[in-house]
Amino acid sequence: MALDVDRDALVLGLRDELGDAVLDAVVVAGVDVWVRVDRRAWVQAAEACRDRLGLRYFCFLSAIDWLPSPFGRAEGQGVDLSRLAGAETVPMEQGAVETVPMEQGVAGGETRFQLLARLSSPTTQLGLTLKADVPDDDLRVDTWSGVYAGADWHERETAEMYGIEFVGHPHPAHIYLPGDFEGYPLRKDFPLVARLVKPWPGIVDVEAMPGEPVEEVADVAADGTEASA
Amino acid sequence: MGLVESGKIPKPLTHLLNLSRKYSLWVYQWGLACCAIEMGAAFGSPRYDVMRLGVIPLPASPRQADLVVISGTVTDKMAPAIRRLYEQMPDPKYVISMGSCANCGGPYWDSYSVTKGVDQIIPVDVYVPGCPPRPEALLEGIVLLQQRIGSEDMAARWRGDGDSAERWRGGPVVVD
Repeated sequence: MALDVDRDALVLGLRDELGDAVLDAVVVAGVDVWVRVDRRAWVQAAEACRDRLGLRYFCFLSAIDWLPSPFGRAEGQGVDLSRLAGAETVPMEQGAVETVPMEQGVAGGETRFQLLARLSSPTTQLGLTLKADVPDDDLRVDTWSGVYAGADWHERETAEMYGIEFVGHPHPAHIYLPGDFEGYPLRKDFPLVARLVKPWPGIVDVEAMPGEPVEEVADVAADGTEASA
Repeated sequence: MGLVESGKIPKPLTHLLNLSRKYSLWVYQWGLACCAIEMGAAFGSPRYDVMRLGVIPLPASPRQADLVVISGTVTDKMAPAIRRLYEQMPDPKYVISMGSCANCGGPYWDSYSVTKGVDQIIPVDVYVPGCPPRPEALLEGIVLLQQRIGSEDMAARWRGDGDSAERWRGGPVVVD
């Protein structure tokens, strides 16, 4: 562990309360703390943070879908596959799923979906990011709304955007989407219907900055060939 | 039976009615996103002074409005409310779509939640493009609308065959 006594104390406190349920913890001295916990200890972790660590301020709760874009727009991928020849959209089987490995962020992970929540202390200004793996075949986790009342609406948003069910939530209805909306729009494999009929044009109408050579501004044409600028 | 009920309105009367309507446009401001700020600045500031055009930008409710400016991103969740707003307005009523989002979805053309143009819900008379449009563009949109109101065929409207999108012979107008 790095030499950051205050932040290390947060991790030690959580390990003391939760034991083996703390799966991984990353401390960057002077910067931040990330702790990945077992999802069965998700509520217990929140209670420990609030009561023992003094993290009384609930900042946000959300989720991440780590699946690389099945439509060929994965992060860090140089070429937008969806714009290549003959492929108005890249079907999931031929897409980037096999070529780009799924990579979870800080504190690791094993599943496609991860919960994350940010808590902090108004007195010490220290904060902590909690994470939990949620397996695909059982997208359920216990609600935090009994621990942090503010988690209520965040959980509703996470539920409608990712399809993660929060067990015990007092009012699990849509919050932003229309009530009859089908699908989970922030999942990576959610199809954007507009893009099925018209591929993402990428960067268009780029003008060179003053003094910048014009050749550097190149655009990949719809057939995949480099258009001459 | 009067001339109006019979669908025959003398030209001078039509001219007078149109003149009256076009210089007392009560504009309902329906701001949905960042264009709302631009609309407020254009309508509310002394610099552009829309009242000199006969535009009154502050009706208390859509039931008192002649014109609604839809400015900003229309979402599918907001769409029923906009439809209802339009239905609450008394005829004759006009719609200006302000900004790229209200026109066609704009930068959110591929979003899961954005309606790709307010004209999918209500008929639009004038489209003002821009992201956001300059205040001058919005004012030009109003002037163009006033020109069209001025040449409107009142007799056709009274007969009921000059409604909404089919009202203008040349279709809706785009400020350019």
